[in-house]
Amino acid sequence: MKFIFNLTRREIRSSWRRLLFFFLCIALGVGSIVALRSLIQNLTKVVGNDARALMTADLEVSSTNDFTPTDVAKIEDVIGKSAIVEARNETISTASMARPSDPANESLEFVELRGIEPPFPLVGNFATSDGQAFDYKLLENNGAVIARILLEELNVKVGDKLKIGEAEFQIRGTIDEEPGGTSGFRMGARVFVEKKSFDDAGITRNTSRIRRRILYRTSENPTPLVTQLREALKGTTIQVNSYREQQENLNEQFARTENYLSLTGLLILVLGGVGVWNVARAFIEQKRKTIAVLKCLGATGNRVIAVYLLQILTLGVIGSLFGVLLAQFGLWVAKWRFVDALPAKMSYAVTFATSWQGILLGVLISVLFSALPLLQIRSIKPKLLLRDENNVNINRLDWSKWIFGALCVAALLGIAVWQAGSLKVGAFFLGGLAGTGLVLYSAAVILTWVLKRTKSLGTFSIRQAVNSLYRPGNQTRIILLAVGLGAFVVIAVQAMQTNLVREFDFSRNQRLPSMIFVDVQKSQIDGVMEMIEKAIGEKAELVPTVRARIAAVNGEAVNFTQREIRQQQGQIGREFAITYRPKLDTNESIVDGEWWTAANPDEPQVSVEQVMAETLKVTAGDSMTFDISGRKVTARVANVRKIDVRNARTAFVFVFRPGTLDKAPQTFAATVLKHIPATDRQRLQRDILEKFPNVQIFDVADIIAAVDKLVSNFVIAISFVGSFVLLSGILILIGSVALTKSQRIYENAILKTLGAKRLTLATILFSEYGLLGLLAGVISTGFAVSMSYVVCRYLMAIEWQFDLPLTIGGVVITALLVTFVGVAASFDVLFRKPLATLRSQ
Amino acid sequence: MIELKNITKTVRSGTEDLTILNDVSIEIPDGQFVAITGASGSGKSTLLGLIAGLDAPSSGKIFIDNDEITATSEDGLARIRSEKIGFVFQSFHLIPSLTAFENVLIPMEILGLDGVAARAGKLLDAVDLTNRGHHYPAELSGGEQQRVAIARAFANSPKILLADEPTGNLDSKNGQHIFDLMTQLHAQNKVTLVLVTHDATLANQAQRQIVLTDGRVSSDETK
Repeated sequence: MKFIFNLTRREIRSSWRRLLFFFLCIALGVGSIVALRSLIQNLTKVVGNDARALMTADLEVSSTNDFTPTDVAKIEDVIGKSAIVEARNETISTASMARPSDPANESLEFVELRGIEPPFPLVGNFATSDGQAFDYKLLENNGAVIARILLEELNVKVGDKLKIGEAEFQIRGTIDEEPGGTSGFRMGARVFVEKKSFDDAGITRNTSRIRRRILYRTSENPTPLVTQLREALKGTTIQVNSYREQQENLNEQFARTENYLSLTGLLILVLGGVGVWNVARAFIEQKRKTIAVLKCLGATGNRVIAVYLLQILTLGVIGSLFGVLLAQFGLWVAKWRFVDALPAKMSYAVTFATSWQGILLGVLISVLFSALPLLQIRSIKPKLLLRDENNVNINRLDWSKWIFGALCVAALLGIAVWQAGSLKVGAFFLGGLAGTGLVLYSAAVILTWVLKRTKSLGTFSIRQAVNSLYRPGNQTRIILLAVGLGAFVVIAVQAMQTNLVREFDFSRNQRLPSMIFVDVQKSQIDGVMEMIEKAIGEKAELVPTVRARIAAVNGEAVNFTQREIRQQQGQIGREFAITYRPKLDTNESIVDGEWWTAANPDEPQVSVEQVMAETLKVTAGDSMTFDISGRKVTARVANVRKIDVRNARTAFVFVFRPGTLDKAPQTFAATVLKHIPATDRQRLQRDILEKFPNVQIFDVADIIAAVDKLVSNFVIAISFVGSFVLLSGILILIGSVALTKSQRIYENAILKTLGAKRLTLATILFSEYGLLGLLAGVISTGFAVSMSYVVCRYLMAIEWQFDLPLTIGGVVITALLVTFVGVAASFDVLFRKPLATLRSQ
Repeated sequence: MIELKNITKTVRSGTEDLTILNDVSIEIPDGQFVAITGASGSGKSTLLGLIAGLDAPSSGKIFIDNDEITATSEDGLARIRSEKIGFVFQSFHLIPSLTAFENVLIPMEILGLDGVAARAGKLLDAVDLTNRGHHYPAELSGGEQQRVAIARAFANSPKILLADEPTGNLDSKNGQHIFDLMTQLHAQNKVTLVLVTHDATLANQAQRQIVLTDGRVSSDETK
């Protein structure tokens, strides 16, 4: 062992520079995994750490409808029999518009209004911005406690009054964080008021986008109680949840996100592994004589393998440790770049568990990818010292290499499965990676083959450059594979972004309203329409809307006690705004059944939107029962409709045939298309709310801005990770250039001796890497564009357009990058004196 | 005692088989200084490599101290080389990543010996390289590199020293110095010295001279 340790130490001392790329490849991969995992774990800690505090209770019964006396009786019956319920309260929440009472202040903001009653919260802490425990007295007599950010947004201060709906509230305090932190997408900042005054504000009267909750604190695990309540409330759309389930769901979501992100990190690490394999292969090739000498001096093959394995392990560990440092640096960059998009109290430190995992992965990948090159040591015979013949068998794959190769693939699959947290996803990842690698490699082989056919063309320099791509031990294919893969990821993301952004580019939709006014009462129509027309100069389009829930499909109530159906509760258990009209809209088409005709004028008929029809598994001819303000209406599904959302003014999931709903309680939605300046829009909103406080107004520009921000953050995040993949590819490129450098030096020395000028040699150098870069650019861009087409058309089902500037840019930038890196890494070769080189050979 | 019985070595050259050694049988008693000479391609280096177990014969048997090395595994051969054989090459074959001192240490470390640093120092003293131990091979002249190789070959006190044209890459002055060192160490340590050389002057100084012609022993004379 002493021999192994001593020789390892000495070899590292002399070879570390040559293995620097090995080290960096591992560091980059480990850094990516540790950074991504730490980021999501830290995010989990802030956002989803305490579902109990988030719920402010142990158990929650909630509905977007009023609880009927029957429902309440059922709930009370179950609760009454339970001995574990300690406390109860009710809350009510909705999104609404808030505006300062001061008429001089024209601000207006969407807020998330929550009416509460004592004791609140049932569990967890609730503190105001000044650090004091929340005192319910702050809310009494129309008081409000608001998120501090709202002071700035509405340009108000504590003590000022706000108008929400028909009521006026005085700001009595602010909060920085509500119980359990913040979670999910919010329309606006939080405002707490008394539940009682919530009702007084008139908001509950007309709008249905309200969620009512009955909350309980229990002394023991509430799960059995949840089961009993769900059973009792079967057939209703009332949701019953415990913090435990909520926590499980949150944990599941975060674990899944973490695993998917880790796979991205693993992609970089595997690419690093390819670099490791390449460096290890060339390293062992360079060490052939040393290995032969050691064998000649009596060292066995296994001991020599042990020396180099220990060397790889040491570098793997150091590289991985450096990776952890890189991860910390990456997190600081993430903080600097995404601080606005991430929670305020989030930590940006790498986590201990993730670091260990990263180091373990780094070492495993180092060993796995260098195993096959290390096995070549067995084939190196000491007799090569006597006759410097090429060890012809060195690259031959014998049975032991096949077995080892298979073991490496199995181990890699194990790692992928471990990281993905799923056998299917892990296998898919590895298969996808192998497939992509194979496509890139095949393309590289074909293109270089074509290039070889043309080597007789061009000048001396070009011919030499083409020849260089075929020199013994050339790195052409490995560079094309590694750089190609990196560039492919970046270009594919860009290509998909272009199409995705175009898809979300609402300005392309000529029929997209600029403003939407909902919950307009019949008696308010004239007033609202007049105000809109006066301000905008356009007559608004008016659509009747009826609030309805799905009560049954083909006579059977939707059973939310089943977990998979419960998961879709938000989608199908919610209240829908439905309408009725005689004609199909211009942006709609029938995919199943027929639009209503004059036949059977009295039969209730409904048209269902395609995606919803698929979710509910209904087709034309089925029946659906809706609950409209407590009245059950059963209609035949006349047809299934496809809506082109790119050209939609409104998009209704359910449309009834006129006749059935005409007399049902209804409100109206008004839409306008014309765009007016933001200040004018705000003034119109204020004026309408002043006169008709129940009307809800959506400014589409605000929604577009929010979506744009979401998409752009998403793209930046993916491009950020993608650039790491490209960086890995560049590292492999630099490593490959370094590996063939001694050969290039020797060739240049001979060419100089034969009379080649430095300019000629420089032209050869530029041509070689220019050609290599061009090939890498063509391969990666071609594959990226094809991939973006497949993903856009078949996975995301969005429109795909060929992006010429991106395609040309992809090829040119990749070519320039490869040329620059390759030439920069070899440039000093041009200035070497030939004699010293030739003498040393 | 080294015994070669009916050794034949054939290699594949392109599409044809090429016989390098043809039915060679030699016995070398312990402590003898043997010079093997012959024209280029006569099989001298191949013969030396077969004795060291660096390669296997196509047919025939080789015994070292009555142990048949031709029936020994790769790892067994490594052990025999480590314990019994020292080798000096024409092109030195020092490990470029190790200093002169470390190159001398290596055989002893492979064998797992203790207190090896002092012995390595003595060996470098013996080849007049006392102050050059910290230098890397690339920083040494050809003669110096070969002296390090000799110190390395003697590190494990082998019974047999095999030298393949050890002076072939050196000028005559350095060549003579190396030759003197080897013969001196051979005499002091009573090792069997098998020297492959082109140089008739050096060969004449050996106790026994074997001449190879086209892979066969054409002359075997003992003084």
